Amino acid sequence: MRAHQCQQSMPCRQTPRLRLWWAWLTTLLLACSASAGAQTLVFTQAQAVAADTEYFPDLPQVRTLALPDDWAVSRPDQSGPVWYRLSFDAEALRASGELLALYIERACSAVAIRLNGKLVHLSGRLTEPVSRNCQRPQLVALPVAWMQPRNNLLDLKVMGFPLHQVASRQRAGGLSAVEIGPYAALANKHSWRTVVSIRMPEVISGSLLLVGCLIFTMGWLNRAQSFLAYYGALLIGWALVLSRQWVADMPWPNSSSEFLLAILASFVTLAAVQFLLRYGGERRRWVDVGLPAQCAVMPLTLMVMGTQHLHAMATFWYVVLAVEVGAAALLYLRKLWLLRRSQFWPMATLAALMGLAALVEFTAQQLGVDLRIVAAAQIIPPLLFVALGLRMVQQYGRALQDAQHDRAELERRVQEASAQIERNFAQLADLKVEQVTQQERKRIAADLHDDLGAKLLTIVHTSDNERISTLAREALEEMRLSVRGLTGKPVPLVNALGDWRAEFVLRLSQAGVDGSWHAPADDDVRQLLSARAFVQTTRVLREAVSNIIKHSGASRCTVRCTIAEGDFQVVIQDNGKGIPMELDGRLDRGHGMASMKHRAKQLQGQCLVESGPGYGTVIRLTIPLDRHLASV
Amino acid sequence: MKNILLLEDLPEIRTWLKALVMQVFPAAQIVECARVYDALAQVSAQKFDLALIDLGLPDGTGVDVVSALRESQPEALSVIVTIHDDDDHLFPALQAGAYGYILKEQSRELITEQLQRISQGEPPLSPSIARKVIAYFAAQAKPQANALPHVQLTERESEVLLRVAKGFTLPEIGVQLGLSRHTIADYVKQIYRKLNVSSRAEAALEAQRLGLFGRR
Repeated sequence: MRAHQCQQSMPCRQTPRLRLWWAWLTTLLLACSASAGAQTLVFTQAQAVAADTEYFPDLPQVRTLALPDDWAVSRPDQSGPVWYRLSFDAEALRASGELLALYIERACSAVAIRLNGKLVHLSGRLTEPVSRNCQRPQLVALPVAWMQPRNNLLDLKVMGFPLHQVASRQRAGGLSAVEIGPYAALANKHSWRTVVSIRMPEVISGSLLLVGCLIFTMGWLNRAQSFLAYYGALLIGWALVLSRQWVADMPWPNSSSEFLLAILASFVTLAAVQFLLRYGGERRRWVDVGLPAQCAVMPLTLMVMGTQHLHAMATFWYVVLAVEVGAAALLYLRKLWLLRRSQFWPMATLAALMGLAALVEFTAQQLGVDLRIVAAAQIIPPLLFVALGLRMVQQYGRALQDAQHDRAELERRVQEASAQIERNFAQLADLKVEQVTQQERKRIAADLHDDLGAKLLTIVHTSDNERISTLAREALEEMRLSVRGLTGKPVPLVNALGDWRAEFVLRLSQAGVDGSWHAPADDDVRQLLSARAFVQTTRVLREAVSNIIKHSGASRCTVRCTIAEGDFQVVIQDNGKGIPMELDGRLDRGHGMASMKHRAKQLQGQCLVESGPGYGTVIRLTIPLDRHLASV
Repeated sequence: MKNILLLEDLPEIRTWLKALVMQVFPAAQIVECARVYDALAQVSAQKFDLALIDLGLPDGTGVDVVSALRESQPEALSVIVTIHDDDDHLFPALQAGAYGYILKEQSRELITEQLQRISQGEPPLSPSIARKVIAYFAAQAKPQANALPHVQLTERESEVLLRVAKGFTLPEIGVQLGLSRHTIADYVKQIYRKLNVSSRAEAALEAQRLGLFGRR
């Protein structure tokens, strides 16, 4: 997939590097084959006889056959060692002066090599428990001292198992082609082969084991994602299964090893099926019970059938297990197709590759395929596992991040809500305070009215003295105004003007004075007057009108109200006899002048009085309109 | 004016009021009460032409007497006689059906004149009361969920109210609108009546909503 992506995108650093790698590899291979071809003897024929003796037996059954020799084909029932004899001339080889070596690609499962009767190499135990060196290439340095110029005899005793006693074809006995040549060249070949057949499975086993343990632990700790535990188990099981390729010596006989491998296979199937099911989000009770039961049943059947039919039973079971895994995989893919189509194609490709590898393995079992193809096919599943494992770790990490992010988000929301609640509470508290204050004021007002007002009223109506009655009346009006100033809200100036006009016109007409009122049009007046300003202005107006009615003897009175530059101005003019002058030329401080000026000052305004005989009186009251009071 | 009810708890004021009323309506029979309880008993006992009702009483508020009068004797004129001149106190009384109001502390002459005017069919209307009435009817005119058709002011009545709110006296309004003083006074009477009707309808609706009617 990486290569595919590289082709699509712009300059990709991957492609030139890959090509370079391939070029290097090919030259190396060519060099190897070139050097190998120079002076290497390749044996493609040998004399073979089946015998369990110390030395090459002298039996009439000796036959010549071709190498590589696959026992499943040539002698299917052979379950004992087979001797091979090769003869060669050493002259040509010794002439080069180099160290000579013998190279056997495959000797399954153990081999003893004798050169001219002397033991030069033992790949492992030839008796039970037989060493499992089927995949391991053998490189033997041949001592030149033991070689004759002509007719050297190379005897190979190969111990192997018949096909029907092993679980897989690669474990069936056999001998590959034998090569003799310079040590250096053959060592190259040997190391290459070792890397591919032994080292790589070791490395893959090791890494699968590590990754599997990691993922298993992740799944174990986080029960909600149990598929991780099963995946980890799958990887560990696969690592163990893969170990069959490089683990040479087991303390138990071969049949037991084969048996264990078969059981491991069922365990791997359990892990794989459970993983696939749970990764897709499903969980089947009968599967949870059936798979472990199968793990128990499978070894039982194998035991029952015995070692003679191991291969047949193992093949049967492998097919069953493969079908189970395949079904689980199909179920999972179907689920993906229905729910998350974006992830379908990658996973389908993975599944297809696994299927391909399984197919290759299967054909190798039945037909015997080139080892290199089998090796390549055996590498694919581990790589896929690791890739998928890394992806799941990434998903895990992402889920963790998301959880953290969600938690941070939640905390933020909680904080916001708390702040909101605090604000609301503060608002409520303010409102409450205002409400209580207002109630308090209303209570004071009611008390004033009830107690003080009643008493004053009594004075008004029961006193014989006119002056006392008037005073009491005025006191009552004052009290009413004070209460208004105490409890009142800001008054729209329009309303105040209306109230003042009505009172002004009424009182003057009752007193027989001709009054005229001038005020700005209602639409131009938008300001608010604080309750206190309204009350004080009312008092000033009343005082002025009272003076006009009582003292001035005027016949006409004009009031002009204007609003200019944030100030409210009232001009009261009459044509009376004016305010009498004091002896020092100032106006008589009686007639409420002082109180009017005082009131105006309290409102941050001013009250000017002009008066003179024949001139009448002009009272100019100016008060600023509060800017911080919102306009109507 | 043949039968007059007088409801006032302060004895001196009651005496003074009685003297005043006798001066204005010499031929009338005056019934004095000092408590709401007594007044209500009197209202159910006999018919009155005029009632002078104080608002602040020891065992309740005069508004109850006004409503009782309005319900049982719609032709009777109820006049509030009070210290309070603020609309918070007066408006409920007007809504209950009061015909007008008189401020207690005014001079004899003023009160006499006001009484006479009221009895002649010219109820007083101050700018602040007028504003409250305008606001009230404006709130009523909003589309609400009540099923009863709300009482509306005619255009003329609204005009009168607006001008009163601006501070013009009734004669001035008459001059401005080209109508006689009597006509303007009639409008004011109509306004008060509609206020009472609307308020009662509203109260009835509220009571119905609260399920009070069913509890009889």
